[in-house]
Amino acid sequence: MSSRLEAEHLYKVFGRRPDEAVERLREGADREELRADGTTAAVIDASFTVEPGQIFVVMGLSGSGKSTLLRMLNGLLEPTAGHVRFDGQDLTAISDRELREVRANKISMVFQHFALFPHRSVLENAAYGLAVQGVPRAEREKRAGEALALCGLAGWEKSWPDELSGGMQQRVGLARALATDADLLLMDESFSALDPLIRRDMQDQLLQLQQTLKKTIVFITHDLNEAMRLGDRIAVMRDGRIVQTGSAEDILLRPANDYVASFIQDVDRSRVLTAAAVMDEDTDGDEIGCACETATTDTPFTELCAISARLTHAVAVLDDKGKLVGRVPRQRLIGFLGDQQGEPAPCDNPRGTRDGKVIANA
Amino acid sequence: MPRLHFGDWIEDLVGWLQSHLTWLFDLVNTVLGGMYDAVDTVLGGGEPLLMAGVLAVIACWLRGLLPGALAFVGLALIDSLGLWDDAMDTLSLVLVASVITIVLAVPLGIWAARSERVSAQLRPVLDVMQTMPAFIYLIPGVMFFGVGTTPGLLATIIFAMPPGVRMTELGIRQVDGELIEAAEAFGTSPRSTLARVQLPLALPTIMAGVNQVIMLALSMVVIGGMAGAGGLGEQVYSAITQLKVGLAAESGVAVVILAMYLDRMTGALGRRVSPLGRRAAAKAAVAAAGRFRLAHYKPGGAVAVIGVVILALVAGGMNLAGSGSSKEASAGTNVGQGKKINIGYIPWDEGTATTYLWKELLEQRGYETDVKQLDPGPLYSGVARGDIDFQTDAWLPTTHKAYWDKYSAQLDDLGAWYGPTSLELTVPSYVKGVDSLADLKGRGKEFGGKIIGIEASAGMMGTLNKSVLKAYGLEGEYKVVSSSTSSMLAELDRSIEKKEPVVVTLWSPHWAYGKYDLKKLKDPEGAWGEGEQIHTVAHKGFAEKDPTVAKWLKDFKLTEQQLTGLENDIRAAGEGHEQDGVRAWLKKNPGLVNKLAPVPGAAKAQGKDAGKTVNMGYFPWDEAIAATYLWQNILEDRGYKPNVKQLDPGPLYTALAQGQMDVQLDGWLPTTHKEYVDRFKGKLDDLGSWYGPTSLELTVPSYVKGVDSLADLKGRGKEFGGKIIGIEASAGMMGTLNKSVLKAYGLEGEYKVVSSSTSSMLAELDRSIKKKEPVVVTLWSPHWAYGKYDLKKLKDPEGAWGKGEQIHTVAKKGFGQEFPELGGWLKNFKLTEEQLASLEVEIQKGGAGNEKESARRWMDAHPGIEDELAPVAG
Repeated sequence: MSSRLEAEHLYKVFGRRPDEAVERLREGADREELRADGTTAAVIDASFTVEPGQIFVVMGLSGSGKSTLLRMLNGLLEPTAGHVRFDGQDLTAISDRELREVRANKISMVFQHFALFPHRSVLENAAYGLAVQGVPRAEREKRAGEALALCGLAGWEKSWPDELSGGMQQRVGLARALATDADLLLMDESFSALDPLIRRDMQDQLLQLQQTLKKTIVFITHDLNEAMRLGDRIAVMRDGRIVQTGSAEDILLRPANDYVASFIQDVDRSRVLTAAAVMDEDTDGDEIGCACETATTDTPFTELCAISARLTHAVAVLDDKGKLVGRVPRQRLIGFLGDQQGEPAPCDNPRGTRDGKVIANA
Repeated sequence: MPRLHFGDWIEDLVGWLQSHLTWLFDLVNTVLGGMYDAVDTVLGGGEPLLMAGVLAVIACWLRGLLPGALAFVGLALIDSLGLWDDAMDTLSLVLVASVITIVLAVPLGIWAARSERVSAQLRPVLDVMQTMPAFIYLIPGVMFFGVGTTPGLLATIIFAMPPGVRMTELGIRQVDGELIEAAEAFGTSPRSTLARVQLPLALPTIMAGVNQVIMLALSMVVIGGMAGAGGLGEQVYSAITQLKVGLAAESGVAVVILAMYLDRMTGALGRRVSPLGRRAAAKAAVAAAGRFRLAHYKPGGAVAVIGVVILALVAGGMNLAGSGSSKEASAGTNVGQGKKINIGYIPWDEGTATTYLWKELLEQRGYETDVKQLDPGPLYSGVARGDIDFQTDAWLPTTHKAYWDKYSAQLDDLGAWYGPTSLELTVPSYVKGVDSLADLKGRGKEFGGKIIGIEASAGMMGTLNKSVLKAYGLEGEYKVVSSSTSSMLAELDRSIEKKEPVVVTLWSPHWAYGKYDLKKLKDPEGAWGEGEQIHTVAHKGFAEKDPTVAKWLKDFKLTEQQLTGLENDIRAAGEGHEQDGVRAWLKKNPGLVNKLAPVPGAAKAQGKDAGKTVNMGYFPWDEAIAATYLWQNILEDRGYKPNVKQLDPGPLYTALAQGQMDVQLDGWLPTTHKEYVDRFKGKLDDLGSWYGPTSLELTVPSYVKGVDSLADLKGRGKEFGGKIIGIEASAGMMGTLNKSVLKAYGLEGEYKVVSSSTSSMLAELDRSIKKKEPVVVTLWSPHWAYGKYDLKKLKDPEGAWGKGEQIHTVAKKGFGQEFPELGGWLKNFKLTEEQLASLEVEIQKGGAGNEKESARRWMDAHPGIEDELAPVAG
């Protein structure tokens, strides 16, 4: 049973008199003013909720405070103000010893540069969390072995971390995090140090594992594609503040401000958008009159294009009960791809009159 | 810029520590000394080659067969150089120092790594420890702990600590922060993080620190040789100071072998203990497999342990079998009966010669001796502390003046055995036209304007700078370069080799005069002052601890011929065989052993009236107590049974008259006891006076200059505060003083006689002497104050004090018939003022209740006195 993670008005200020700085931030002072006084506001008023079993991605550029935010979630950094609630427990209100208990049993973490212990074998690394919990050697080696197998590393137990490739090392890191059976998995740019191909493999593997394990995951990344691919919900951070929280489509289609908008410019929309986001819900009802191919709301954008190419008319989108919920004309597909929505402007030299054909709405 | 008296504060601090923290120093001394002794017993106990085998097996286990074999060869080389025992002493020192250092340094390093504040505060302390020249705490170390291993160990620990701390801190700090964070993220507690992550990963760095600690300890141990830490350091040091390049090189090679062994072993140990190191070693082993398999063979732990145990058992067994054959002095001459005597010497030829002479003499007399070479500073402080019993090479009054002044309170001068010596400037005889100091003038360029001196602290350097240069007008022209005796000699040697002109400070006797063709520069102005005497100096109280040896040393004299003969024989015997040289010389001089170290008379001779009881009475005056207890001792030795009773004068004379008492020794006649003698006329026998005349006088400490007679007091009242410190107002002498003495010298208005009490007068005298203030007191002779302080009786040319008295021995009637022998002794009994004063001082020191023992100590310090006072025929 996974648990719900809540962050409530989290602040983290480094430097002198942090509490005073928080007050000033609440009164509307901005980050630059504080910096002049030598204090750094790393996270400002961050609030969000992660539902059980969700992957929550925090996305932002370096220096946006995302790593600091992550470290407050398991108490590696103590918030200057605000609360973190997990599994019905306020992590900001408990003692160091209790906090260590929580970290040992309920929250585990995967690091950007793997952070494997070079003086321990792969098996010993995977078993580290269990060793801290005090699990007897035989059992922890069995469970660590299972976790390694789950991550595709069966047979590498006796190896040493420096003998493995980067991707394999991160699998060990993942296995180490999974071996403790923690509900909450914190992943700090865990795939950023990997080659693009390997990164994609790891993303696939994470999604695949998540289907069976149903962990609550907070994933930090600076790569919007990765965020869109993994995140059930995404928070975009800028200068310590969360500027927008929402699903991938929310971010992509309804950017909260120019910053987010500029951010999503380079995103490969075709990988993110589904029929539900593209379709025109204003249906005539005649699209299902024929026996032509249809799409569902979950159909990815690329597949939608393929269907559209095979049809002469707009693609009908059905929900899971087979009911018509929308239609996707070809014009709309092209508009989404070019981020140009709305009706096309009329042509000042309409070639259509000369040829006697109408190209638009084809 | 005001002068900051930092040095004075440190000296005060050292003085304070010395007097207040003795218990702590003794404790440290005991602990460190104990550890060293234990380790040294184990390492130095076995047969050298077997021990070398044990060490080689360890090398085998850690590094493989080839390194093991090389280790054995190196260690065997040390043995063949005859330096095995020294090497093991050094190894013990290094091991003990390193273990203590590491035990302190690693936790400190961990602490510093975990706290910025600690790290910041530790840093300057470590800087001081690392850079403060070791001599600065080595010598105070000697003051606190005495000559021996402890100051050397401490200096080593201080010097070797910083890299241990720093490398530990560095090792822990450089562990990747992400790993620490990972550990924390999995709920590891800080303590557990240290054990699970930081220490294992820091271990290679920490082991490098340990290696550094051991290497530094080894290099420091050599310097520790200066403080008598023993081992190779002492060898190196003594060789260098005597310009014995060969011996120095041998010892140096031994140090290098030890250093390499320790370095490779700790390096290998580092790889053994750290998990990363083990991995690297395993990889290397896989890579090397196949090639040179035998050379790389490493025995497993079990094999190595078995090897070590077998060799250790054999070594231990041989050691047991070997003991029990130590040489013994023949029973008749075994005066010392194994008593241990520590002798220290400065590596000057005459010092070496006489030290080894006494070592041989004392060993022939059944003493155990320990001979240590030291620098003058540590030597004097060692003698002052009593770690060293005596040394034979004290150049007084000039050369060692500084040391003598500093420590004279804890030293006893046993007299000069050679002299006069001379100090001089010397040039090689190929330097033409320079025969006298005056000839140096105007030729400064030739000598580079330099006079090569010795240690700046030496007394002769002061004389040279202060008077010699001035007397011959050489001040601007020559600069005295102070270095060290060995550097001076090295410079002389170098110059002679190149036939360059050079002028050095030197002294006679010195072996350089025998080795090189040198010319002492004449000193027509007498600027160097008179020659010195070479004294034997012992720890204060050595005469009480061992009166026989003290007596031998006091009577010790060598002629120049004897000294040169001895030195030549020692040189002929060669390095490290000084004692053989001494034996050869003694063989050429038969009878000298008995002359230098006569065996004291066997059993005490019994008197003719042995067994008779003698009742002796005394009243508590200092001289009465002294003489009575002296005779009690003598009579007991002679077989009498003396009874001693204290009485007041009246009852005592009465008891004598009635025959209940036999004799008393303190009859002040003709004045003080006139009354009693007159009353019991005819019932007493006067056995004659043993001391006299007594006198009453005014006395000043002898540092008060220009006051020698009562007449000199006139006009100097202000100096003494216009006061004469008197005794009880009722005493007869106070009346005499006021009524006639002051008048006779016209001191009445100027001085006021302060009457107090005898003890206050003495206290005032003591206080004034401590502060070196002028004071004038009323005193009388005999009095122990004359023995304790350096005082000057003021002459009484006018005879104002009146005539002195005599101290008589008064006995009951017929004493001469009853005790004919004792009567004869007492009739001839005489003590000089010096004898009586020293006897009284001894009794004073011994305290009340120990008078008899104190008198016995005095007799021991005056051997022969018994036979003189109570001669027994045959």
